[in-house]
This record gives sequence, structure tokens and C-alpha cells, in this order.
Amino acid sequence: MFFYYLDLAWRSIKKTPLLSLLMVLAISIGIGITITSLNIYQMANINPAGERSSQLYEVRLMSQGLDSWDEINPQITYQDSFNLRKSSIATRQSPMFRTGMAVQTDDDNFVPILEGARVADSDFFGLFSVEFLYGNSWGKQVDIDPAYQVVIREDLNKEVFGGENSVGRTIYLNQKPYQIVGVIKYWNPSPKYYDVNNGAFNDAERMFVPFSLAPIEEFESWGNNQSWKREDIVTYADRLASETHWNQYWVELNTPEQVKEYRLWLSNYIEQQKLIGRFEMPEAKADLSDVATWLKVNNVVPEDNKVLVGLSVLFLIVCLVNMLGLLLAKFLKRAPEVGVRRAIGASRAQIFAQHMVEVGVIGFFGGVIGLLWAWGSLSILSAHFKLEEALTQLGMSMWVLAPGVAIASALIAGLYPAWRICSTNPSVHLKSQ
Amino acid sequence: MLQIKPIISTLRHNKSGPLLLLLQIILSVAIVANASFIINERVQLMSRESGLVEDEVFDFTVYNFEEGVDYTAQNSRDMDIIRGLAGVKASTTSSMTPLSGGGWSSTFTYGQSEETAKDAPQAAIYYGDEQMVETLGVEMIAGRNFYQSEIESGHPNTANLAIVSQAFATVTWGDEPAVGQTIYAGGYGEQALKVIGVVKTLQGAWVNSSHLDNAIILNVELGLTSFNRFLVRAEPGLMTELKPQIIAALHKENKNRVIDGFTMITEHRKRVYRDHELMATVLSMMVILLLLITSLGLAGMVMFNIERRTKQIGTRRALGAKKRDIVSFFLVENYIICLTGGVIGALVAVQLGRQLMSVYSLPQLELIYPIATVVGLVVLTTVAVILPARKAAKISPAIATRSV
Amino acid sequence: MLSMKSISKVFKTDLVETHALRDFNLEVKEGEFVAVTGPSGSGKTTFLNIAGLLEGFTHGDYFLDGVNISNLSDNKSAAIRNEKIGFIFQGFNLIPDLNLAENVEVPLRYRGFNAAERKRRVQHALEQVGLAARMKHLPSQLSGGQQQRVAIARALAGEPRFLLADEPTGNLDSMMARQVMELLEEINKAGTTIIMVTHDPELARRAQRNIQIVDGQVCDFTMYQGGAEKPHLVSDTESPSDGQQAQTEQVAG
Repeated sequence: MFFYYLDLAWRSIKKTPLLSLLMVLAISIGIGITITSLNIYQMANINPAGERSSQLYEVRLMSQGLDSWDEINPQITYQDSFNLRKSSIATRQSPMFRTGMAVQTDDDNFVPILEGARVADSDFFGLFSVEFLYGNSWGKQVDIDPAYQVVIREDLNKEVFGGENSVGRTIYLNQKPYQIVGVIKYWNPSPKYYDVNNGAFNDAERMFVPFSLAPIEEFESWGNNQSWKREDIVTYADRLASETHWNQYWVELNTPEQVKEYRLWLSNYIEQQKLIGRFEMPEAKADLSDVATWLKVNNVVPEDNKVLVGLSVLFLIVCLVNMLGLLLAKFLKRAPEVGVRRAIGASRAQIFAQHMVEVGVIGFFGGVIGLLWAWGSLSILSAHFKLEEALTQLGMSMWVLAPGVAIASALIAGLYPAWRICSTNPSVHLKSQ
Repeated sequence: MLQIKPIISTLRHNKSGPLLLLLQIILSVAIVANASFIINERVQLMSRESGLVEDEVFDFTVYNFEEGVDYTAQNSRDMDIIRGLAGVKASTTSSMTPLSGGGWSSTFTYGQSEETAKDAPQAAIYYGDEQMVETLGVEMIAGRNFYQSEIESGHPNTANLAIVSQAFATVTWGDEPAVGQTIYAGGYGEQALKVIGVVKTLQGAWVNSSHLDNAIILNVELGLTSFNRFLVRAEPGLMTELKPQIIAALHKENKNRVIDGFTMITEHRKRVYRDHELMATVLSMMVILLLLITSLGLAGMVMFNIERRTKQIGTRRALGAKKRDIVSFFLVENYIICLTGGVIGALVAVQLGRQLMSVYSLPQLELIYPIATVVGLVVLTTVAVILPARKAAKISPAIATRSV
Repeated sequence: MLSMKSISKVFKTDLVETHALRDFNLEVKEGEFVAVTGPSGSGKTTFLNIAGLLEGFTHGDYFLDGVNISNLSDNKSAAIRNEKIGFIFQGFNLIPDLNLAENVEVPLRYRGFNAAERKRRVQHALEQVGLAARMKHLPSQLSGGQQQRVAIARALAGEPRFLLADEPTGNLDSMMARQVMELLEEINKAGTTIIMVTHDPELARRAQRNIQIVDGQVCDFTMYQGGAEKPHLVSDTESPSDGQQAQTEQVAG
């Protein structure tokens, strides 16, 4: 019966091409706008940590003094990073910050490139489930006894070494030789959740160097440095000892007990720091946020996006109301034919089904064309505004979602007209017209 | 002849069609009013003056990775090389680039004594030399520029003279002249900075900050780290020519550095306002499409009604209705729906605006927007109705006498 | 076959109550050809709609083929319409977008026959009315008489137990009307019960039995033979007013 309805629907659509086009246009534009804004929203709203999301926690500490910041800051100081590393409660943990260095090789013809790098502990890769193509992270020992070792990403390995297994080879970072211990597979989480302070949709770093090297190599901070206190910072040692917030700190806690234990450890730490004159605020506290919370805390999804999604859903509703009116007109015009079908033995349910199939077909076309609109508008927007690709790539889910939403919303819009037509008394329309 | 009564009774008999149109108009007005309000707000944001000659200024960065370099001395040498290039009108080292979204900012204190000291508002800090004013192309409206001899080198804490933006001066000292005042970096009395000049407009780097117009230029040629930023002013379009020259000249001086990031201020502006422009563009698209769909829906409805009422129209014509009367019948019918929908829609718009304001950081909707939308809607209705209705007026009165 | 007992049908609006049928009684036997006449507004169409299960009724009992029709679900009555009843209308009511074969196929679709069975029955039904050669034509390409024959083929395709015809010749000229009438008589001879509403006394006379409906009640002329004889009144006694009595005296034709 479904195919019969499909056939009837197709005939009906062809019979009033202008009206059908108008309806398809209405729903496709609604879907196009909705999918466009939903796509940007969803891409910004993705939780790239996946199932690890609830086990990874960003640590924040309210270390500021009185009469300074009101709220807890997203970053922490180097001295706190240094102290937090002493706890062994977390399964994995790593302090980190962003830096950058000039990259050179043994090859004299290689033009030096300036490359962002992440300074972190060896746990970084395990924490964020980063997969290795060759080699591995530097050893745990390096976190304590600094060594000139580096992990690079697949694509950088390709640029510098032509893609071969480069483990054991040397690259020069700011003219210092570093031994490559591992090459990771392409890894570029979006949003870049492990450090959202410096552009949540910027690319991830392609080099990773040991945190323990920071005091020796004096890696500069390429991120936000937030100060609540005026301090004369001249040397790198000044900076390490300062109250400036410029590090991020992540821990992995697998069980609620572990979380509880770690929280307790943190509050003890704060008490202890208060004794030496830090953490002056009476309400000084530590805060743990898992990835989902962390993205929310940092407003990774701009409010504009939410407003757009809201308005575009309203827009879709307008399109549907528009379609509802046209459908009603179209269906009621067909009342005599429906009267004949009813007389011949079609039940109300069959008439209803026939019309819902027709609406569904219109919805499907609307969805497909809407998807094209969305794809087009996203391409135009991304070209015109140089948006990050991560935001304008039409998500896989949208290919299903767009026709799905289109059909579903068309069916909702079709309910009333289909009900009206199937519940009219057939005998009224059977007398000679 | 306005025939409101029969029209209303017609509307009451066929509820669903007009009701749907009404709902559509209500929603359209609510969306269009709020969207155009937001668009206008963004357009105004984007049209604020930065005070710069934006199409003549570009920035770039130098990263010295060789160990043991005296950054201060290196910067001075680089500065001379850049200024020596043909086509460079003016150039300076700078702690930050206007409209770039990143840079330095701080609060200052001022006052007559420690007890009466007050915090001046947050301001962007440009560390640079005597060519900063000329490089940016900002207009001096009081006091004077730095003399070359007054420029310090190296650490930011060597600064002692300041040129402030008019906006900063007004917020801080009101009507009092700014030139001659002293502000302190940090607490009262720490690192005094004497204000020697005022520029008309100079914006900072963060366009979404409420302190965007507060900016201060301090007399230091920075030279503290391996990373340094230069601002260059040249004729529009000359950056592409100067870029390779600058890279070559600086590499000739010292090969061990990365010279990168050449960007016009106009590009910085585009990038930093990108989200606002995006929002305005998408919303404009939405408004246009919405109006299109609403008017098509309206026209479709009128066409359908004409078809359904062919006989009625023929009868009316047979009874002596002029063509004009038929058109006005449809017009009045749709004006009633459109105005009712418009008024309710305007109320919904105000309510929606309130919700948006409370949930998101959007300003309160101004009343003129829903009103303008309703007026626009009336115009749209007229066009969408008159076209098909004129066709209806052509229906022959003879139709009435036929039975089929 | 068809049995209506004390059927009444009342239409209510805010202002008035209209009795379309009142205490309506009728028995139709298998294989009969019944012509129903009556002035317009007398309730002919209401009777046909109720008989064809297109409308419900207010009071009374209706048995069709032994099945009690009162309070049937929509699905059930649709199935009965589909399997047991064929409709023929004055305006033919072919679906203009479907060609002849597709029009005839409609009831078979709702019956759920497979494609082969549908094809066989369509072919057969169209052959019966002599239009098998034009099955790909659209209704608009046919004359009125041909259209009505297609409508009859559509009614026959489902092999119904009885046909309900509402002014089947009303829109046709006399030549075509005769053809259609002959077709109906043939169908009746083959065993299908036919109830036909008509204005045309000529046609009515050709039926085995004539019924006149006046003001919602039945006057039955069994084996009506001539034009001048006074009819035998079947339903009479409970008529509420004298005025109506008087009306029923008027003989059709």
C-alpha cells in the first residue's frame, strides 16, 4: 500500500508543480537555515573527549589575593603546578602551557619554521588518549630529570622527515638538539578542550616537550598570562615564582572515591598554602570540572550561536505554518476525489496514510534541498569569513538529521490537513459537482 | 467602499486558513523585529572608528631564536633597517596591534594623594617610540608627541611618559585637561607616568570590551624577549611589496630568526569583527527569506481563496461590484489579518526580546523595530495581495450564471 | 439482503432540526432491481448514503447481508463498502488524474489484491463495459456515457453483492442513458442487486420494483405496472401530520 501512496503522492506533487515547489521551497529554506545554525552550534558544542569526558578534570585554584578577582580563574600558577605534581592520587596528571620555538634540522637548506609547542608531562598522551604512530612518550623519569626529548605529530614529521620513522633522530628547537622519542597520529580535538583560553577552535600543537625543561630552557608563554598582583617580573625565575596564572592542569580520576580523595588533598593543600601567606581569600577553594562542565564554564559555545539556533527554529516553525496553510488548501480542494475513494472502500486511516505519505515526500524533498542550502551557505560563510573548518564542515549527523527533521516536521505540519481531509463526510462531495 | 462586516463574517466561517496566516505573521514579526534589532546593533558595533589609518598600517613579528642575543640592541638595529626601506612612511616597535584581539592592558591609579587615589579604567597599553603616533595615523588633539630623546629601551617598567586617548582622559579626569596629569602603573606612587599628549581616538585590541576606546601609549621601545612586534605604515597595497624586502633585510642582518605574521589592520578588523559580521549576515539572510516566505504564503492563500470564491466573485460582479471593489475586498480581508497578527506579533517580539535580554547578553529591544516591521508588513501585504487580486477582478460576471 | 427497520436520520444545526428520514422501513431481496424516486429534498440521497454506509443514522436498525450495520467502526464499514457495495454517481466521479485502468483499480488496491489479480479484474471489468481497448486513456478523453461505463466497471471490479446508483443517467443524453441502463440490467441479470435513485420515470418503470420517498418515508410500488394505478402504500400509519399524508397521495410520474 505504501508504494501505491507513494505513486499517488508523486502524481499529486506533479499535478500542482507551483504549489508543490512553494511548499518544498518553504520547508527547504527552513531546514537550510536551521541546519546551518545547528551545525555551527553542534560543532562548537562537541565534546571531543568522548567517553573519557567524565574522568578528566581540569583543576582550578582560587589563589588570588583580597580585592582582586572575584571569581576562580581558569588557569593556575607555575608554583601550584609544581606542587600539584607531588600528589599521587590521580591516575594520570599533567600541568601544561603553550609555547613556540623555531624548528631546524641537520639539513642546512631547511628554512627554519616557527612552530607552536605544548609543554607537558609524559602523562599528557595517556590523559587525552593520544595515539602514537611511532615510538612513545618520554619516560616518567624525564618528568623529574629533564632531558631534551620531543614528541611530534604525524604531519610535522612528514614536513621535516618526509614521513619516515624518525624516532631517535634529532631536531633543533631554538638551536638546541632534541631527540625525537615519539610521533603521534594526527590529533586535533575541536574544541581544543585541554586549553580553551587561547582560542578554543585553534589548532592543536604539533610538538610536545617535557615540562621539566621549562625552568632550564625558559620556554616563553604563548598563551594568556593573567595577573591579579603587581610583581616585577624580569627574569624567568621571577615568572616561575610569581602569582601569574598561565598554566593549565589536568588530572584523570576514575572513581568517585578517587575524586573525593583528590578534593580532600586539594583543600589540605590550600590550608597549607594559607599558612605561608598565599590563598588570602577566606573562601579560597579548589574546583574540579570534567570536560563537559569545563566547556560550559568557558562559554565555548558563543551566545550568538544559541540565539541563532533559537531564531532559526522559530523560522522553521514559520515555514511549517506556511506549509500547513498551503497543504490545507491543496487537500481540501481534493475533497471530491477523497469522497470517491471513501465510497469505494477506503477507510479514514487509509486516506490519512495516503496524505501523510504525500506530506512525507514533500518533507523529504525539502530536507534534501535544505541540506544543499545548508551545505551552500556553510561553504559561502566559511569562504567569506575564513571560519575554522571545524565549524563549517557539515557534520555527518546532519546528513541524516536534515531529511529526518524535514520529514518529521512536515509530518507534524501535515497532521491537521490530513486529519481534516480524512474526517470530512464523503457523501457531501459525491453529489454531482 | 469598505466592507468590513461581510469580510469578518467570511473570516469567521473559514477559520483555519486565516488563523494559520495570522500565526505565521505573528511569528514573522517577532523574529524579524528581533533579528533586525540585533543586525543593527552589530552594524553599529562594526562601524565604530578605530582612529587609525587602517588601510596603511600592517604589523609583523620577529622571533629571534639564537641564544645570547641582546634583544634590546637587536630591536634597535632592526628598527633602523625597517625605517631605511623605501616606501616605509613610519614604523615603530609595539607591544600590541590595534583590533587584533590580543595585547596588553592594565588598570592605573591616579589622584592627589594616596588616600584619595582612584582606579582609572582598564586601558590598552601601546609601548612604542616617537613614531607610534605617526605610524598609527592617530590625531593629536592636545599636548605633544614624545621626543626621540625621551624614548626608553628594554623593560616596560622604564616608561615615564604617556599619551592617552580622549576617551580615557574624559573618563578619568572629566573636563580637567589631561595633559600634565600623572597616573601610576600599579598602586599609588608606583612608576609615575606623566601625561604629555591626548589623541582623539585610539582603540585597543578587544572589540567586545567596554574599554575598547581606552588606550595609552607609553614611551618604551620594548626589547625584553625573543619575540618582537613591529607596526609599519606605508601606502595602501604596498605591504605585499615590502614584505619580502623586510624579510630579506632583517635576515641579512641576522639569519637566526623567524619573521612572520604580516597582516594589514583591515584584515585584523575583519577577523576580530568576524563573529559579529557573521551574525549580522546570517540574520539578514533569515529576515529576507522570512519576508519572502511570508509574502509567498500570503499570495498563495489569496490565490487559493480566489479560486474557491470564483463563483462568489462572479456573482458580486454580476450584482454590480467594480473591479476596484473586488481588489479592495481581498486587501481589506488581508489587512485585518495582517494588522491583527502584526499587533500580537509586536507584543510577542517585545516578550521574546526580553527573554533574549535576560538569558543572553543582548540589549533591550527598541520599540521602533516591531513598529517598523509591522509597517513593512503592511506594504508587503499590499503587494502580495494586489497582484493575485487583480487577476480575480478580471473574473467574468457570466461565471455566476453557470452551474458548474 | 438489505433490511432497514425504523431508520431515522436527524440533522441538527444551532437553529433547526431537520428530519431527513423518519421511521424508514425497507426490505430488498437478493437479485432485485429497485428504483427509488421522489421529489428533491425528500431524502433519496440520505437513504442512499445510509444504505451505502457513507453516513450513520440516528435511530433504527440496518442489516446488510445479515450484518448489523449500526455502530460499525470506520474500518469495518470501509471494508464492507469495498467488498459488498459498488457505487455509481450522476457525475461519474472518476478520478481525473488516473487513467481508466487505474480508476478501476482503486477499489482493488484498498482490497489488498496483488498486482496480477488486480490486472485480471481490471481487464475483465473493462471488457464487460466494452472499454478494455482504452484503458490507458484519461477520463477527460472520453464522452460522458463512456465515463459512466468506466464508473460502472469500477463498481463491478470488486464483484460487489449490490450496486448503489445515484442518478446514473442524469448527466447523459437519452441514447447514452439507454446504453447505460441496458448495462445495468445485464448486471442485474447476472445476479447483482441494484438500487437506483432516479428522476426519470421511464427508467424507473424498467426496474422490477419502484419505491417513492416522500418527506423521509417510503411509498413502495411493488411490481408497478402502469402509470394511472393508485399505488399501494406500505408505510403509512405512523405519519405524524395530515399534510404529509396528503403529499404521499401524489403519484410519481
